[in-house]
Amino acid sequence: MVSSITQQTISDLLKANGYIADDAIATAVFLALRMEKPILIEGPPGVGKTGLAKALSVALDFPKVRLQCYEGIDEGKALYDWEYGKQLLYTQLLRTQLDNYLSVSADLKEAVERLSSEESLFFSENFLVQRPILRSFMSQKRSLLLIDEIDRSDDEFEALLLECLSDFQVSIPELGVITAKRKPLVILTSNGTRMISDALRRRCLYLYIGYPELEREVAIVRAKFPDICETLARQMVVFLNKARELNLRKPPSVSEALDWAQVLSIMKANQLTPEVVSGTVGVIAKHQSDLQKVTELATQELA
Amino acid sequence: MERIVTSFVAALREQGIRVSPGESIDAVQALGVCGMKSRKMSRQLLRLTLVKNVNDIPTFHEVFNLFFSRYQFVGLDEDLPTLMDAAITEIEGEFTYLDVVKDDHDDDLGPLIKIESEIDPEDLAELKSLTEIDPDDTDGTEMQVKMKGYRGKAKKPPRPTRRYTQNPLTIELDKSNSYGDSITFTPEEQIAMQDVVSKMMLRLRKDMKRMKNNQNRGKLHVIRTIQKNYRHDMVPFQVIMRRKRREKPRLVVLCDVSFSVSHASRFMLLLLHTLHNQLLDVRSFIYNRDLAEITEMLANMPVNDLMETIDTGEIVDLDENSSFGEVFLKFKKNYLENLRGRPAVIILGDGRNNYGDANDWVLDEIREKSRYMLWLTPEERDTWSRGDCLMDIYGSYCDKVEVVKTVDDLSLVVEDLLRDVYADQAHPIDRKLLREAKAAQTYDSADYYRRGSAAGSEPVFDPTGRSKW
Repeated sequence: MVSSITQQTISDLLKANGYIADDAIATAVFLALRMEKPILIEGPPGVGKTGLAKALSVALDFPKVRLQCYEGIDEGKALYDWEYGKQLLYTQLLRTQLDNYLSVSADLKEAVERLSSEESLFFSENFLVQRPILRSFMSQKRSLLLIDEIDRSDDEFEALLLECLSDFQVSIPELGVITAKRKPLVILTSNGTRMISDALRRRCLYLYIGYPELEREVAIVRAKFPDICETLARQMVVFLNKARELNLRKPPSVSEALDWAQVLSIMKANQLTPEVVSGTVGVIAKHQSDLQKVTELATQELA
Repeated sequence: MERIVTSFVAALREQGIRVSPGESIDAVQALGVCGMKSRKMSRQLLRLTLVKNVNDIPTFHEVFNLFFSRYQFVGLDEDLPTLMDAAITEIEGEFTYLDVVKDDHDDDLGPLIKIESEIDPEDLAELKSLTEIDPDDTDGTEMQVKMKGYRGKAKKPPRPTRRYTQNPLTIELDKSNSYGDSITFTPEEQIAMQDVVSKMMLRLRKDMKRMKNNQNRGKLHVIRTIQKNYRHDMVPFQVIMRRKRREKPRLVVLCDVSFSVSHASRFMLLLLHTLHNQLLDVRSFIYNRDLAEITEMLANMPVNDLMETIDTGEIVDLDENSSFGEVFLKFKKNYLENLRGRPAVIILGDGRNNYGDANDWVLDEIREKSRYMLWLTPEERDTWSRGDCLMDIYGSYCDKVEVVKTVDDLSLVVEDLLRDVYADQAHPIDRKLLREAKAAQTYDSADYYRRGSAAGSEPVFDPTGRSKW
């Protein structure tokens, strides 16, 4: 399926799943699929970085494996872990079996040799807990690995990802190197709260998703809420674009636009007026000082 | 094509965008996969593969437009595997394209190269079909590669802007004062400084050590517990806990380096420099009207060299009047988003804004992102609202405003802060103990200094009489 895909089919597929992608996004996804490289997406909060991954997993029918990063995340949480409890339980339960097995041996040395030849039993995939990255590598079907908010993790974790992302393999000391069965489509998102290291950037395609252009944002609103009429959607988006230039503490993003559209469609509003805006301003402005600025803008622009 | 990409990469490097050979291979591969259907498309492909930072995107567009200024795309729809192979060897082969462009045209733009619309991949790999043509005799399907100036020479470092003399104003303006005649620290001062710091460390260490042991205690360490209890037939008599990664308290310091408080800032920087990596994770900024981060420089340069560099005005222009409002805005714009882990913020300055915009709302945001905000000012409380001093306004946003007039004041304040910060991160059992220890300790040392100065004896750090600012 992947080989027949073009940029156009990607944007069509995404559109069918309610995600309106621009050319840059479609091209990036296309390249990532063809070149088997991860995409690093940066951009302000709420412009649809995680949304892209979700829409893609449905559109391409790749099972989604999500790894949410946080400060202090380590390989035990991201790659794999051993199930010590299970290992211990098995040794206890198999004690009689082991006794029988070892009783054949003539002396201690032989017993040790016999036992060590079976060592691999206790460090096998049977006792391995797969964490997201390994799970996506082991998946029979090509999967979509979403590493969300990578900027929240520590530098050490970033270094850990390097091997996984460039070679699609995980080294487990007891088992050796495990290579991905099907190379997953990897999407990393970052809000830019910390600079991601150059080493990681180099291994990825870099996609910056900013606030969408007017037409695309109108299309996004219309795609999600078809009962909002074209003129109202346009009016909303123009207003939001002006609000974004106000130097607000938290400028309204696409997700706010969608929330607002939902509120307006519930209220059955068909035109933006200062009253409508001041009634619903809490949806688009999330700080007290912002509320005031947005209401002022509404009285200036819409009166 | 690979030559075009490599020389384009060289052009990007010239403009200070860092592109690795691996990324150029990606670019060629991407062009091979997608084909060069349109100018816009190729620009996107190159951008996706070569630029890895938002701030570099505008520069990239500039270079792209300049580089392909008269470029028109012709149909090259072939899948070009051989081309890619060639590209890879090309890139690894030390950028041989440099030789090709020796015969340059006299005019500003480089040689014109014609790409025929029907080429087979093998030819393209050797660039046989790219022919140089006369600039006047063009029929539209040519491209011009701008090569002049893109010979891969290293980007020149920016010229230092030495608008300011090597000798700062302080000398002339404060001859009568006890500022001394040099801004760098004398060896004696540095030794005295280390003395202050080591005493401080001694006082702190005792409490920190105990606290760290508890702070590090985490969840059950299963393997080590099993190992330890093997001799008891797996009955867990002895429990081993995992150790957490040690967290150093984070600190962000903004130091005014304008001449009114310069000596205080310098001392502060030296103090933090000494403390950094021992107890703290410090990010240091200096500001006047401009704001610059000097964390890296503090870590890598000898402290005196750094002081001299600051004095020359290379980092921030010392000629300007300090403007707190502008500095806060810049801080919000460039750094506030990447403050990690709720640091303690220390601002050192006199709050004299030279009648600019106060922008005090930014402080509110900084306050939200930080664990604790402390303002250090050398001015007495009476003068906080006089003239252009906005200390009263700014102070209302801070957790604490301290008046520091001497080096000893400063070291006490910093010690206090360290205890506070550590106590916040401590294990609950220790928190109370630490707070009590802090109360006792700081009282003692404060008392010690007071007695010292009352008796007229030598203060701890005052070899040149400069510790009064």
